[in-house]
Amino acid sequence: MSASRHATGFFAALRMTDFGRRALLCFLGFYMAISSGCSKRAASAAPAEKILRISQRNEPATLDPQLATLPDEFFIIRALGEGLLVPNPDGGAPLPGAAERYEVSPDGLIYTFHLRANAKWSNGDPVTTYDFQASYFEALLPMRAAPKASLFFPIKNAKAFYEGKLSSIIEVGIATPDKHTLVITLEEPNADFLSIVASGSWIPRHRDNVGCQQIGPENATTRLSNGPFILIDWKPNQHISVRKSPHYWDAANVKLDGIRFLAMDNGDTEERAFRAGQLDVTMAVPFTKLAGYRAEQPSPLRSVPLSETRYIALNTTRPPLDDARVRRALALALDRQTLVEKVVLTGQPAFNFVPAGLGDFTPTARLAEDTDEARRLLAAAGFPGGRGFPRLELATWVNSPVLEAVQQRWRRELGIEVALAQREARTHLAALAGGDYAMAFMTAIPDYDSAADLLTQLTTGNPGNYPHWHDAGFDRLVAASDWPAADKLLIEAMPLIPLYFNAQNFLVAPRVKNWRADRLWTRFYRGVSVE
Amino acid sequence: MFRFIARRLLQTIPVLLVIITATFFMVRFVPGGPFTSEKALPPEILRNIEAHYGLDQPLWRQYVNYLGQVARGDLGPSFKYTNRSVNEIIGQTLPVSLELGGWALLVALAVGLPLGVLAAVRRNSWLDYACSVIGMIGICVPVYVGGPLFALLFGVYLQWVNVSGWYEGIDRVLPALTLGLAYAAYIMRMTRGGMLEVLGQDYIRTARAKGASEARIVLRHALRGGLLPVVAFLGPAVAGILTGSFVIETVFQIPGLGRQFVISAFSRDYTLILGTVILYATLIVVCNLIVDIAQVWLNPKLKFE
Repeated sequence: MSASRHATGFFAALRMTDFGRRALLCFLGFYMAISSGCSKRAASAAPAEKILRISQRNEPATLDPQLATLPDEFFIIRALGEGLLVPNPDGGAPLPGAAERYEVSPDGLIYTFHLRANAKWSNGDPVTTYDFQASYFEALLPMRAAPKASLFFPIKNAKAFYEGKLSSIIEVGIATPDKHTLVITLEEPNADFLSIVASGSWIPRHRDNVGCQQIGPENATTRLSNGPFILIDWKPNQHISVRKSPHYWDAANVKLDGIRFLAMDNGDTEERAFRAGQLDVTMAVPFTKLAGYRAEQPSPLRSVPLSETRYIALNTTRPPLDDARVRRALALALDRQTLVEKVVLTGQPAFNFVPAGLGDFTPTARLAEDTDEARRLLAAAGFPGGRGFPRLELATWVNSPVLEAVQQRWRRELGIEVALAQREARTHLAALAGGDYAMAFMTAIPDYDSAADLLTQLTTGNPGNYPHWHDAGFDRLVAASDWPAADKLLIEAMPLIPLYFNAQNFLVAPRVKNWRADRLWTRFYRGVSVE
Repeated sequence: MFRFIARRLLQTIPVLLVIITATFFMVRFVPGGPFTSEKALPPEILRNIEAHYGLDQPLWRQYVNYLGQVARGDLGPSFKYTNRSVNEIIGQTLPVSLELGGWALLVALAVGLPLGVLAAVRRNSWLDYACSVIGMIGICVPVYVGGPLFALLFGVYLQWVNVSGWYEGIDRVLPALTLGLAYAAYIMRMTRGGMLEVLGQDYIRTARAKGASEARIVLRHALRGGLLPVVAFLGPAVAGILTGSFVIETVFQIPGLGRQFVISAFSRDYTLILGTVILYATLIVVCNLIVDIAQVWLNPKLKFE
């Protein structure tokens, strides 16, 4: 074709035409954008201030302690605010926070908290008991729609007020005899009350922030905080920046000038950013990279055990899972040690439901894995060698090799076949809540440091009772706060199959010193420093 | 022409109404709601929250209320982000997606068009084959493979750019290249096809016979007709590219609308889902309208009827 012979002429013409000029201009513009970016990058390479850069997984729905629900939100809220008590990094009883001490009445009903005289808000105002009272009262207002309002229900008359049975909020048991003394009266003695007080939902807001327009990205700087840091910038899905508060009572022990929470919603993106030196602390490590980082010397990999139980919920209303022998057979046939070592690659095998060390919980019973016993139980239930056992579905919301391992184990040891199904997270949860499933992978994360939080959910009629299980004996044990016995009963009746206690694996850059996190997703920023 | 545009814009209203209605009811029938969490809420608290957001009212009532709101230009509060409205969220994320889309489109056109024209003009040469290979690679390699590869090469190993984020000018380079090159491959294939067809036409031979230079033939006579298939493709493509790419925005952690849209579906943020769908639908309608106008302009055989 003649066209190709004239191609050189075409090149020459391209430069002269209008189209060519415009294309050239576009390229120039693009090139300039790139080159200007390059010079900026070089300038921002060496941060003079001690800023810690942490990966932030979910864009916070709110930074209001009474409205927040996710650990991701409390990561930031805990940098900004401080409750009466704070969790103990070493485990055990909570430590003094905004309150320097407290007393409990002999009947266990009245808690008197004494605030620190030198506790200040980020604008210099003293922290007073009125801030606490206003925050807690507001959490109980039905119109406020606080998802964790039930964390205030141990307080006298709080639940009645929330449900509209009491019209006056004055009758709720939060009193302020003076600006440094907060007296909380309980409905009944509650062994977990101090853990609840240390939970994130009990962090106060400044009384000027209460009842006003909510704090969001647009008005972020108007948020006052009584914790080690102040909110200075909130760019949704990009970053949230906090700066050290000069007014914090323990500012001398805050080693950082600030923290930047960088939005990283994808684990692989996060890991690349860490490798490129854009991040100091990650949220997680991609499963496929775990072994590689573990082998590195010195390894940036950290692993913190969590009070999180991963289990398989069994729908106890559906045959054959309504038979406790079948449920036990399924649980006994597993090999959790191998599962954790070879498949999960992290965490601890779970031979009971409630993690040891949650509150002061110590398990008294342990699931004894026994495949012979499992086969015998299955035969007794009418399925010798798995014959006649229906093909049940094992549903999940995450793609986890754990379930394939379980599926294989059941096939080999019990001769039964289950089908795996992965669903979108909320569809999965809706199926669990509605009882529209057979077996489902699930996780249990407590809100505060106590076995009560996990075990109460399995009582009759509780919306979190995903196995839809009824056992009057269990309800009685929970009502009597006999956690070890309730946990033991779970192993016998087996409405759910505990698999493993999860752990958080994440990467910490060598420049970060003294990074601490506990089993309930609490981070302790105060002692952290960067080089 | 103005009658044509006015008529087309009027047609948009029933189209949007159908889309809003279908989306409104579809998202409500999906299992799980905005307040479903792994820790089930006590019933009294769930009731309260639903009342707070008006979800306790009959569905038809919510629908009518929503239509009224939308008619006033208010897309409602977000269910997930308690302190933000859908208008605010779209106002913040759309410009980012537009910017990313603009750069990507520029890359796509700047690479795709010249290469497509070159491949057609020098058909069956090594250049044509090279373009074919590059085009096939561009089409076959998904952006979620290309993106991380670029990030690894230029971000982690060479350290020329940040691997993610949207702060400095340079942060635009990798996402724009990744997204743009994927579209460039399509544009190149289509340009080549369109150009080949036109270059075989009688009027091109006539122009050649009259002694027009090759550059003049290609740029002045052939390109206009050769671009027709590209322009038809660009309508929906521009709408898609501008409203954001979920994958690109996730791989490079870009605070754009594409990711927000997908997250809103996962979190059952009803109002945000609807708001984004309305925006997307409007954009597609407008882009298609522009394409139709452009086609009439490019192709003298077509009229505005």
